[in-house]
Amino acid sequence: MKPFDYIACDSMEAACTALDLCRGNARILAGGTDLLLELRRPGTPSPGAIVDISRIASMRGTYERQGEISIRPLTTHAELSRSATLRSWAPFLAIASGAIGSPQIRNRGTIGGNIMNAAACADTVPPLVALGARLTLRSVRGERVVDIGTFFEKPYRTIAREDEVLTLITFIPLPPGVRTAFVKLGRRNALSIARLSVAAVVARDTEGVITEARIVPGAALPVWKRIPEAETMLIGEKASGALFAAAGAKASEVMLGLTGRRWSTEYKEPVLAVLVRRALALCCSDRGEGGGP
Amino acid sequence: MKKISLHTTVNGRACELEIPPNQTLLDLLRDTLGLTGTKRGCEIGQCGACTVLLDGHAVNSCLVLAGQTEGRQITTVEGLAQGEKLTPLQEAFLDHDAVHCGFCTPGMLMSAKDLLKRNPSPTQQEIRAAISGNLCRCTGYLQIVEAVDDAAKRMRHPKK
Repeated sequence: MKPFDYIACDSMEAACTALDLCRGNARILAGGTDLLLELRRPGTPSPGAIVDISRIASMRGTYERQGEISIRPLTTHAELSRSATLRSWAPFLAIASGAIGSPQIRNRGTIGGNIMNAAACADTVPPLVALGARLTLRSVRGERVVDIGTFFEKPYRTIAREDEVLTLITFIPLPPGVRTAFVKLGRRNALSIARLSVAAVVARDTEGVITEARIVPGAALPVWKRIPEAETMLIGEKASGALFAAAGAKASEVMLGLTGRRWSTEYKEPVLAVLVRRALALCCSDRGEGGGP
Repeated sequence: MKKISLHTTVNGRACELEIPPNQTLLDLLRDTLGLTGTKRGCEIGQCGACTVLLDGHAVNSCLVLAGQTEGRQITTVEGLAQGEKLTPLQEAFLDHDAVHCGFCTPGMLMSAKDLLKRNPSPTQQEIRAAISGNLCRCTGYLQIVEAVDDAAKRMRHPKK
């Protein structure tokens, strides 16, 4: 592994100070399940310093306050997958957290790391984009809150500055009765990296007419975003296989419009359509909230 | 690269060490402490051969920096048995021939231990999910699942 200086922090203040002193020549260590792989990869330059925030206990846990759900960034995927708060208010985020890696990875990997690493396959991001989550970033210069929809520039690149650390993830919980789903396709049952995934939200009125829909594909677009072209097709309609298939086809069409035809298109085009259809059907079924891979 | 001091507890024994900051927990256990029961497999968090318990939770020791274990409790496969007395989980692995070449066994035992602590009555599906981060290249999964299932029963109904 590359050599580096190691700075263990016991508070976010200390982490911000360390990042400021390192002037861009440092990496933040949370769960380490991505960073340690990177540091071992041949050709990776030394990070200079590792700022270890993993022992800041106050940065773990989820809570509900003033009508908002907040997740602290060092909460592990295992904790999120079992969180009663998430199971009640955003079940697809709990499902997505439980679909990451293996039990060992979920015991170490954190939601903050998943967001900040910004890999295209990051499973927690599609549900967070569907929820319109907001991210609080902190540095010695102060705090700012950004919308997750504007946070990602491209895979592995965000608008976070080198001295900024993620301190909170917040979202407004979905109203009661709104259903969510997360579906994921990987190459194997365990330890799968998403080849494609879909997070979906569907609200229906008492007549069964769809009043709101949100669709966010994962590992499909240059950056995560909702697909309003497919979402609007659903509004005012009743759930049906044909409707969901049409919305899936539209989502694939939008993906092609954004990415162009690539080597993987032949595979991704039909698969995304099917995953969207399945996610929407799960939202309108009694079978649960989806899963992966 | 300046060494860092580390205070951690391994299998109930307090350790005070000076370590290079880029040492992984896996290297600390095997190379510094000589606890070679924890196996070095893929070193990318895929095979689970290096699984240990960190504060009771199964983790890939290849993906943890040793420095991150400051003040924490580590349990390796060597920490399971009490002297010569094996745990019901280890006994069940032997009785069910769940040990083939043996390379995956320490990791399997640690993942199973984490499961049985949280869930004393797991279903077959829950056992399979709990060991889904552990590869057995001999493909002896059936015996391993049976052993964990039997161990759970033995632990719920210990012989007098």
